[in-house]
Amino acid sequence: MDLSVLNTYLPTLIRYVLVAVALAVIMLIVYRVQLRFGINSEAAAGRALVMPWVIGFLIFNLFTIGASLYLSFTEYNLFRAPEWVGLQNYAELFDVSAAPLESAAQRSSDALPPRHDEIVRVTIGDGGFVLGARESDFWRSMRLTVVYAVVTVPLGLAGALGVALLLNQKVRGVGLWRVLYYLPAVLPAVATALLWRWMFSSTGIVNASLSPFINFFGLSQPQWLSDPSLSPVLFIIISMWGIFGANSVILLAGLKGIPQELYEVADIDGGGEWAKFRYVTVPMLSPSLFYNLVTSLIGALQAFEVAAFIPTPAGAGTFLNWQIYQEAFNFRHMGMASAMAWILLLIIIALTALVFRSSSAWVFYQGARERS
Amino acid sequence: MATLSQTQSRNTSDQPPSQRAFHVRQAIIYGLLLFGAALVLIPFLWMISTSLKTQDQLFVRTIDFIPNPIVPGNYIEVWERLNSISPGMTIWRILGNTLFITVLAMFGEIFSASLVAYGFSRFKWKGRDALFALMLVTVMIPGIVTRVPGFLIWRQLGLLDTYDPLTWPSLFAWGPIYVFLMRQFFMSIPREIEEAAIIDGANTLQIYVYIMLPLIRPIMLAIAVLSFQGNWNNFQGPLLYLNTPERFPLALALRFFDQSLSREAPQWQYMMALATMMAAPVLAIYFLAQKQFLEGINVGGVKG
Repeated sequence: MDLSVLNTYLPTLIRYVLVAVALAVIMLIVYRVQLRFGINSEAAAGRALVMPWVIGFLIFNLFTIGASLYLSFTEYNLFRAPEWVGLQNYAELFDVSAAPLESAAQRSSDALPPRHDEIVRVTIGDGGFVLGARESDFWRSMRLTVVYAVVTVPLGLAGALGVALLLNQKVRGVGLWRVLYYLPAVLPAVATALLWRWMFSSTGIVNASLSPFINFFGLSQPQWLSDPSLSPVLFIIISMWGIFGANSVILLAGLKGIPQELYEVADIDGGGEWAKFRYVTVPMLSPSLFYNLVTSLIGALQAFEVAAFIPTPAGAGTFLNWQIYQEAFNFRHMGMASAMAWILLLIIIALTALVFRSSSAWVFYQGARERS
Repeated sequence: MATLSQTQSRNTSDQPPSQRAFHVRQAIIYGLLLFGAALVLIPFLWMISTSLKTQDQLFVRTIDFIPNPIVPGNYIEVWERLNSISPGMTIWRILGNTLFITVLAMFGEIFSASLVAYGFSRFKWKGRDALFALMLVTVMIPGIVTRVPGFLIWRQLGLLDTYDPLTWPSLFAWGPIYVFLMRQFFMSIPREIEEAAIIDGANTLQIYVYIMLPLIRPIMLAIAVLSFQGNWNNFQGPLLYLNTPERFPLALALRFFDQSLSREAPQWQYMMALATMMAAPVLAIYFLAQKQFLEGINVGGVKG
């Protein structure tokens, strides 16, 4: 046994134990100090117990978020101290432009201001317009990420609901089906991302199984990995694999929790299958749907592994999370990366707030009605 | 099932058309179930199938799920290749790294989440609900926002390229979801159980160890499997903090192979062998502890 191996494990292990002990001491001190100030022992114990999270929150969330905000106003490449540049990073990011096209054949670069690259080009008849930006990679990634989230979240939710409804029918061996259907959520994301790249490669199984259709209709082979216009399609198809998995399991549990009497009442009232689905299943399931909506929205905006293992062709952009990672750790633009991360954070907060806002209109909590 | 009782009552009154409708319905349901199962299984089986092929078998136009010949040697050769470009990257070392990170992070998560959830659920104190709400809000913060300054902190501490950033921060209950799940479970325990113990003179620590821990064992197991899976599969953290190939966990070894040996001509048989090896322990735990897995997800989902 090579002892040098231990040298990489042992110091970490020792620090792990030391941190655990330090935390226990802090909890004890917090408890004792509160007692001294005359706080009752129940409240003191409760506050002492949540200390690990409070300290973690202060260091790993509050401090880092503040530092990230500060860094976003600086230029910092790790070698020299951060240099305060004010709003420059944000100004560069929002240095976007729109220009009309004089003819459909005109090159975007001729229409746009210097150093601006095309993000979106729309041709209408013999004209149109083009949107460009200085940080065009960022905006292309923004486009891909937002399109991805906006398409996959509702589609994925509907698919997961379909799977859950299917499993909720009286079928034999529902346990077995459920175990099988959850499989995609268990596999490591890095393994599946690589697997998808293999399956969608030009000589992969997807094109091989599509080839009869392609030949029949005289089409050309889709180049999933090198055709920029197919990139969003590829990622959306991949994400659909996730309709099996956690979301459908959660919805299935929600379906099982709906009291049967409600369906019986609907029967007596002469409600058909659709009416039962629309007026019993959906409202009763809405809290689970809401939970899934929020978690899958936050997840979709932060896709990372697929981007790391499936490189996109030039011009397609990639996922924002990966784009920011590269900006920070490949190009060492810590300030710019922080500004980008803050924009992502604000988008997530805005979209989540929107979903929460809308929830009062469609999410139905049992027992909430009595209060109102 | 309302629809089912309906069809059954019709069946007893001997009406062939509705019985036919019932059978058609059943056929559609099972057809869809099988279709879904195929969608789940085909990529999975393709991964295993590829891992057992030779390079020549990869790019054949016909789709063969059962390789001929079957080459289990890929699982050994992939490590020889990794070891040849980066001495020290042996299977035992990489597996050991992955397990070291996973087990330490898992214990930290379970232990701290149970303490914090206990404090948030069984004690009354001012500011509790506000603080808990704040904790749930942190779920929204994308990891990448805190990663850049986080990286700088670890750099300042001289702990880059060590396992520290991936292990002991778990002691600070870094997974709000787990705290949330545990809290839900704690709240379902009747208050009388504690009151009896308090009358008997037990202190908080004793109540936690002797009464609460045995009671919350099911949810702890559920979180243990979820946490094992999460840390075993973790990619972003190790990618940021580890540089030396022999310190890599499996997820990074996979990327390392992809970026070096597979760069010019992808060697899918080896990469799929690595991917299968990485998936195997998680799958094994999943099949052994599926009840805990699915329960853990459900506690959050139904009550969320």
